Amino acid sequence: MADVTLTIDNKQVTVPAGTLVVDAAKRAGLDVPVFCYHPKLEPAGMCRMCLVEIGRPMLDRATGKPVLDEAGEAKIQFMPKLETACTNPVSEGMVVKTQLTSEKARAGQKGTVEFLLTSHPLDCPVCDKGGECALQDLTMAHGPGQSRFLFDEKQRLAKQLPLGELIWLDRERCIQCARCIRFQDDIAGESVLGFEERGRMMQIVSMSEPGFDSIFSGNTTDICPVGALTTSDFRFGARPWELNAAPSICAQCPVGCNLTFNTRREAKADGQIVIKRVMPRQNEQVNEIWMCDKGRFAYHYVESEKRLTRPLMRRDGKLAKVSWKAALDLAAEKLSEHKKNSVTLVSGRLSNEDLYNLNIFAGKTEAILYTDMGGGDLTSLVGVSDGTNIGDMGKGDAILVIASDLYNEAPIWWLRIKAAAERGATLIVAGGRAAKLDRFATFTIRYAYGDEIKTIEDLGGKSKIAEAFRKAENALIFYGSDGLGLAGSTSLAAACANLLKETNHIGRRNNGLVGVWPRVNDQGAWEMGFRPTADLAEALKGKAVYIVGADPAGDDPALAKALKSAKFVVVQDISMTATAELADVILPAQPHTERAGTFTSGERRVQRFYPVVPAFGESRPDFSITAQLARQMGIILEGSSLPIVFDFIAHSLPAFDGLNYDRLAEVTEQWPMVGRGDMYYGGTTYENKDGLGAHLSSAAQRGETFKLPAAKNVKPLRPKEGELLAVPVTQLYDLGNTVASAELLAQRIGAAAISLHPETAGKLGAADGETVKISWNGSQSEVRVRTDEGLAAGVALVPRSFGIALREPMTLTVKPAKKVK
Amino acid sequence: MSLLEPIIELGRGLVITMKQALFNPVVTVQYPEVKREVRPRFRGRHVLKRYENGLEKCIGCSLCAAACPSDAIFVEAAENTDEKRFSPGERYASTYEINMMRCIFCGFCEDACPTEAIVLGDNYELSFTNRRDAIYPKEMLLEPVPSADMTTPRKTEANVFTRSVPEMKNPKDWESGDTVKVDT
Amino acid sequence: MSLMEKYPKEVKQILAKYPPEFKRSAVMPLLYLAQRGEGYVTKSAMTEIARALDITETEVASIIGFYTLYHDKKEGRYRMQVCADLPCALRGADKFLAELCGNLGIRVGETTPDGTVTLESVACLAACDKAPMFQIQSPDGIEYHENMTIDRTMELVEALKRSGQEGR
Repeated sequence: MADVTLTIDNKQVTVPAGTLVVDAAKRAGLDVPVFCYHPKLEPAGMCRMCLVEIGRPMLDRATGKPVLDEAGEAKIQFMPKLETACTNPVSEGMVVKTQLTSEKARAGQKGTVEFLLTSHPLDCPVCDKGGECALQDLTMAHGPGQSRFLFDEKQRLAKQLPLGELIWLDRERCIQCARCIRFQDDIAGESVLGFEERGRMMQIVSMSEPGFDSIFSGNTTDICPVGALTTSDFRFGARPWELNAAPSICAQCPVGCNLTFNTRREAKADGQIVIKRVMPRQNEQVNEIWMCDKGRFAYHYVESEKRLTRPLMRRDGKLAKVSWKAALDLAAEKLSEHKKNSVTLVSGRLSNEDLYNLNIFAGKTEAILYTDMGGGDLTSLVGVSDGTNIGDMGKGDAILVIASDLYNEAPIWWLRIKAAAERGATLIVAGGRAAKLDRFATFTIRYAYGDEIKTIEDLGGKSKIAEAFRKAENALIFYGSDGLGLAGSTSLAAACANLLKETNHIGRRNNGLVGVWPRVNDQGAWEMGFRPTADLAEALKGKAVYIVGADPAGDDPALAKALKSAKFVVVQDISMTATAELADVILPAQPHTERAGTFTSGERRVQRFYPVVPAFGESRPDFSITAQLARQMGIILEGSSLPIVFDFIAHSLPAFDGLNYDRLAEVTEQWPMVGRGDMYYGGTTYENKDGLGAHLSSAAQRGETFKLPAAKNVKPLRPKEGELLAVPVTQLYDLGNTVASAELLAQRIGAAAISLHPETAGKLGAADGETVKISWNGSQSEVRVRTDEGLAAGVALVPRSFGIALREPMTLTVKPAKKVK
Repeated sequence: MSLLEPIIELGRGLVITMKQALFNPVVTVQYPEVKREVRPRFRGRHVLKRYENGLEKCIGCSLCAAACPSDAIFVEAAENTDEKRFSPGERYASTYEINMMRCIFCGFCEDACPTEAIVLGDNYELSFTNRRDAIYPKEMLLEPVPSADMTTPRKTEANVFTRSVPEMKNPKDWESGDTVKVDT
Repeated sequence: MSLMEKYPKEVKQILAKYPPEFKRSAVMPLLYLAQRGEGYVTKSAMTEIARALDITETEVASIIGFYTLYHDKKEGRYRMQVCADLPCALRGADKFLAELCGNLGIRVGETTPDGTVTLESVACLAACDKAPMFQIQSPDGIEYHENMTIDRTMELVEALKRSGQEGR
C-alpha cells in the first residue's frame, strides 16, 4: 500500500495508507492512551480515551486542490471537536495533536477517565489486575486526581460472578470496552460473550453451556484493560509485582506457543517456588499474543503428587527408593547385559537435546518413537521453510487441512488458519466429519474414513478445488491423524508430500507439509532419527527396554502385557505412570519447566525454553540422565551443558546447520508492541525478550535431491452389518498424563464417551448420554454415548487418551449396557 | 593553696549532685519491673486490627509488603465466603508474616494499608533467642477478638460484607481530614 | 412447546423474509413472536431461535438485553416504562419517577405485590417535550401517557389493577 505522510505532535511520520492514527503515533514513539482499542482487534471507538485533535488540509471545493495560506503551505482545518485516534485512518497532510501538545486533547482524555471512574469500584487492593491494570496506569498518567461525582451514585452490580469455571467476571470493574466480546467474535470465532442492557447498566453476559464455552477464554483476561475478567486459577494468587517471570514454550501440542510462567515462593507450598500462572509471550510467527486454555490451565501436571522425587528400584517385587548411583549402576548393568536385545522407546515430550543423546545412546540397537502418527521423515524433506508465517498468508494462498481437527489438536493453528482464511486465503478442509474449521473453509471435502489418500489424489486431478490449490501462490498442507493410525497417517503424509511436490509448493517460505503431531516435540524426534514401529508390542516383548517419557502401558493393555514379558524395564519419566509401575528401575526426570532445552514445533521451528522453577526432589534432566547411563556403558555423551549438546546437533544434522543457543535467543522488534512495560497496548501480555526461535531448513529448501515414497493405498476398512467403524480422534481436554491433573478442567474433560450419529445411535437403541458396552479387537469396555450430527452414519469416534485403547481404525460392536437399577 | 581547698571543692561538687538527686524529677524507670509508657506516635510491634464486629481489617492485598523497604512482610491471600469469613469483601490474608529481624519500624506499611489494618503498636519487647521466632505469623499479630462470638473465620449473613475496602461516603471526606467511615 | 410447534405459520413467514445468508436478521421478529404469549422470552425459546438462526444464545440474550421491549423474565402484567433521560429529567421525570416509586411502594425494576405493574426506567421514548411521560407495555400493545402527574398516574394504576382483576 502507498505510504502516507502526516504530522503528529510536530513530528513527521510516514506510514502505510490505512494505518490508524493511534498506530501511526505508536510507530512514531508517541503514545495515545487507549482502553477499547487493541492492535489485534478492529477498532470500536467505545471508550473515547484516545481523543485527539485532528486537522486535515483544507480543500478548495471547486478545484479539489489544497487551499494555501500566506506562507504557501496547505491550510489545515481542524475539526471543531476532538476525534478518536483509534477509528480514524491517516491521510496525506493530516496534522494530529495528541495530549502531548494539545490542551484540548488533554482535557478530553481527563474527562473520559473521570467518567470511566464514576462507575468503577476502585477496589484495586483486592483486584487481581491491580499493578498491571491499564485503567490504573492511564488514570495515573492522564486522569484527574479527584472525582466530582458522588460515591453514592456508583453502579452496584455483581462482583464475584464466575462466567464458567475458568473465568470470573466483576461487573462493577468493567468499563464496557468490549475487547473480550470482540476477541470472541472476531478472533476466536466463538460468540459466547455479549452485552446486556445498555448505557450505564451495560454488562457482560455469557449464556453458553458450560459457561463461557470457548477454548480461548483465557485470552480475554489478558486483553481486559481492567480487572473485570480474571482467571479462577490465579484468583488472589499473588500481586503481579511479586511474581517472577520465566520464558518457556507450551508443551501441550505441536504449535509450540511461547509462554511466560509466573512464579512465586509460597507459604502454602512449604516455602517452595511454585508456578502461579501461565501467560502468552509474544511471537508473531507462532502464537502472536494468544494461547489456548489447555496451555493456560493444564500445566499442573508438573507439580502433580505423582511426581517422582527419587530413583526407585524393584526389590522383592516392590519399588524401593534408592540412590542415583545404585539405580544407574543396575540399569547400566542390565542394559549392557542385554545389549543386543534392547530397545529404547522415547516420546515426543522430550527436548531435542534429550532425543539427540538418546539416539546416540541407542546406537545400533532399536530406537522407537512412541507415536501413532507417521510421516515425520517427509516433513523433514518437504516441510515448511525458513520465514514461514501463517500470519502472512492471505489472498492468493491456499491452506489444506486434512484428517485433522485442529480445534482440538492444535488450537492456535486453528485460530491462525481461520484468520488467514478471513484475509482471503483459500482454505480447504478435508475430513471424515464436520469440524469447527468448516465454517471458515472455502471448500469443504467430506470423505468416508479410509478414503484420505484418495481425497489427496483427487486434489492432484482436475476439479475446482484441485485448481485452486495448484494455482495458489503459496500452499501449506496440515495433515493429522484424525481417524488414522500409524499406517494410515504415514500413507497420507506421502500422498500430501507428493501433491505438494507436483504442484511445486515446496522449498519456499509459506509452502510445505506440516504434521499435526500428538506431542510437542514429535517433529524433533523425527529429525533426530527416531521412527515409530508398526508393531510396538512385538518390539517390546522379551527385550531389555529403556522407556523415556512414554506411557505405553497406560495407553494400551496390550503394551502393558508386552512390557510385563520384557526382560528388564528402565523407565525415565517425570511422574508415576502405569508404565513406571511395571519398571525394574525408575529414573526421575524433570519436566520442561525445571530445566532448559529446545523443542521443534510442527512448523519445524526450534525454540528455547528456560528453567522456571527449581528441580523437584532429586530429579534430573533427561539428557543428563541418559549421558550418565551411557557413561557407565562406555559411551561418552555430553551430560551437563545443553548448548554443547545443541552444537553437536547443529554439526551432525543439516537441518540444524547454523543454529545455536544464541541464535535461538535472538529477538527482533515485533508489531504490535505489547510488552508489559507498555501500558498503552500492553496490559498483561509478555514482551518476548528471550528468543523467537528459528526454522529448520527442509531438504527441499537446501536443494537436495530426494525421492518421495508413493502413498500406499490401503484398502479402506468397511464394517459389516451390525458393526461400526471405530476411528481414533483427539479431544482437546483428555485424560492424558499432562491434562488430567488439572482439576480446573475436570468438568470440560468429562467422561470417556464415543460419538455416534444420532441415527446410528438410534438404531442401536442408545440415546445421548446413555452408557453402552463396546467391544473391539477382543477388548471390551463400557462408555457413554454422545450423539453428533456432524458424523457419518456407521462411524464411532473413539477419543484418544480416555482409557479406550484404539490405536488405529477398527470395527467395533455396540451393545446396550445392562441398566443399573 | 590551702589544705582545705580540695575539701571545699569536693563539697561544692556534692552539693550539685545532691541538688540534682533530691530536687529534680526522676527520669529513669525500673525496667522490666516498671514499663515506660510510650508516646502516642511511637512505632513498636505491629498489630493487625479488627473491626468492631470482630472481622479482620486485613484483606490480604499485599500493599504493605510492596511498601516495605526491607522486605519484611510476606502476605498470601485467599477467598472469603459467607460460610467462612475472615474479613469483609472477597479477599483475606491466609498467610501474614512479619520478619522482625528485618523490620526497621519505618511505618510505611501503615501508610500503604488501604483499610488501616496494620498499625505499629506500642510493644517494643521483641527479643528472641531463635531466629525463627523473629518471624511473627498472623496469629501473633492479630488483635484479640472483642468477644468470644466474634472469632474469625465465622459464618456471616449472606451478601452483607461485600466490600473489601471501606466506602467513602463523599469525596470531601478526604479534604476535611476525617477518618474514613467504616461501613461493614 | 417450541416456537415452531406453536406458531409454525408465523415462523415460516418470518424466515422467508430474509435471504439465507442474512437469516440472523430474523431474530427481532422471532423474539417478538416468542414474547407474544407469556410476555417474556423463555430460555428454551432463546435456544430455539439461536439454533434456527445459527447464532449463539449469548447473542440472542444480548439482543433481548439491549431492547427495553424484550424481556427474559416473567414480571407484572403491565410494564410501566418511564423515560428518565436527560431532556425528560430536565422536565422533572426523575423526580416523577422517584415519587412514583414512593406511591407504588416499589423500586425501579420491581413489580407491585399484586403482579399488576412493573416499574422500569428506560432510555429515550421520543417524547421529550411531553415529559414526564411513560409507556405501558402489555399484551394488548403499547400505550403512551404524556405530561403525566403523580395523581393521574395513580388513577391509571388503579384502573389497570381493576381491569386486571376483571380480566381474571
